[in-house]
Amino acid sequence: MEILEEISRQLQLGDDERVHELTRQAIDQGIDPATILNDGLVCGMNVVGEAFRTHEIFLPDVLMAAKAMYAGMDQLKPLFVKGEIPTRGTIIIGTVQGDLHDLGKNLVGIMLKGVGYDVIDLGKDVAPEAFVEAAVRENASIIGMSALLTTTMPAMKKVVDLLRGQNLQGRIRTIVGGAPITKAFAEQIGADAYAFDAAKSVERVKALLGA
Amino acid sequence: MTDRVPLSPRAVVPSLGDVLHAQGIPPGAFVKDKVRALAEASLDAFLSQAQPRCITAEVSCDEFGEIFRGDGRNDDEAPLAAIYPQADRLVLFALTMGHEVSRTIAGLMENNDFAFGSMLDSVASLAVENSIALLEDRVAGTPVGDRAANGNHRTLNYSPGYCGWHISAQVKLFHRLDPGQLGITLNDSCLMTPLKSATGVLVRGERAIHDFDIGFRFCRHCRDKTCLERRGSRSPAKPTAT
Repeated sequence: MEILEEISRQLQLGDDERVHELTRQAIDQGIDPATILNDGLVCGMNVVGEAFRTHEIFLPDVLMAAKAMYAGMDQLKPLFVKGEIPTRGTIIIGTVQGDLHDLGKNLVGIMLKGVGYDVIDLGKDVAPEAFVEAAVRENASIIGMSALLTTTMPAMKKVVDLLRGQNLQGRIRTIVGGAPITKAFAEQIGADAYAFDAAKSVERVKALLGA
Repeated sequence: MTDRVPLSPRAVVPSLGDVLHAQGIPPGAFVKDKVRALAEASLDAFLSQAQPRCITAEVSCDEFGEIFRGDGRNDDEAPLAAIYPQADRLVLFALTMGHEVSRTIAGLMENNDFAFGSMLDSVASLAVENSIALLEDRVAGTPVGDRAANGNHRTLNYSPGYCGWHISAQVKLFHRLDPGQLGITLNDSCLMTPLKSATGVLVRGERAIHDFDIGFRFCRHCRDKTCLERRGSRSPAKPTAT
C-alpha cells in the first residue's frame, strides 16, 4: 500500500511530524494496526538499521528515525489489545552495578524497540540479582548488559553466574557490550553474545532468537 | 586547602567538527543540514546552560598514596601505582558541567528527542575532556595547548574507575577535595551526580613515567586504547566522563 511505503520513507528521513500524520491517515483508512506497524514503521526502521550497519548513515539519522518511529507507535498503541504493541520478544537491558553511563545502553534500547522487540530498561547501576529477577518476572528471552568502567565489568559475570546457578542459562540469554568490553571477555565470562555497538546488538538479538 | 579554577562554557565548548566526530560522523563525510542544525543547537544549549566549575588540591606523594589505595580494592598491578611515586606534582581535581545540562539531556531522552539528547550528551562529554586538558596545561605550567613547550615532561590525568584504580577510591578523594561545594555528590556505588563530572589526579613528571605496557589483566579485555593516544604527541584527555 502506498501510504505504508510513505510512512517507511518519511521514517527513514526522520520526519516525526509527517510519520505521525501519515499513521493517523492510515488508521483512518481502516488499515490493520499490525500492518501499519510491520509494513510501515518496522519496515522503515529495518532499512535505517541496515544503512547504519553499513555506514551509509550515522547515529543522528538513526535517532531521528527512532523519534519518528515512536511518533507513529504512539498513534497505534491504543488500538492494540490492552494497549500493548505486538512484540518479537522481551529483552531486559541495563547498565551494570557500579556504572552510571547509560547512553550506549539507551541507544541499544531505542534500536531494539524500533525493530519490534519489547525492551524493559532497568536503568543504570543495576544489581546482578535485579537483572535476573526482572528477566524471570517478565519472561524475557535476553538480558543485555552495558558497562563503561573497567572496574564494573565483573558485574556482568555475576549475572551470567546467577543464571547458571538457577539453571536459567539457555532459556535466558545474555549479551554484553560497552567501551571496554570485547568478544574475548564475553566468551570468558560465558555470555551468549557480544555486541560492539547498538547496530550489532540488533543483529545479535535476532541471531539468538532466530528471528 | 583547595583552589577554585575558573572555567567558562566558552572556554571548554567543543568544536562542531569534534561533536560530529563524537556522533560517529567521520571528517569529510557529507553532513545533512538537519544534523548540522541539531549539532549547532546542542552547542548553543550547552553555552546557555552549562555551569563549569572546578576545584583542585596539590597533594603529597604520601597523601595521594592513601587516596589511591582507597579501601584496598585496586587491581594488584594498577599502572598508576608505579607512576605516581615518580611524579614531581600530584594535583587532585573535581569538575562538573553542572546540573542543568544533565537534566536537559535526561529530559530530551525521556521525550524521545534522542538525536538532540545524544548530541548534547556528546557536547557535554567533550567539554569535560576539554576542561581536563586545560587543567593538564595549567598543572604542566605550559601555555595552553602547547605540549611541545613542556619539553621532556608530561602531565596526564588518571581517574578512579579506570585502569585498575578502583572506583571506591572516590570516597577518600571526595573527603579530601569536598566537591560537594561544586554540587557534585557521590552515591553508594561511588558514582557522581551530575553525570557530566569528572574527578582524578593530574600527574606531572618526566614523559617516561607515564609509559606502561598494556599487558595488565584489565588491558586484555579493553578495546578503548586511548591510553596509548594520550601518551602520544598531542594527547586528548582520557574520557573520564560520558
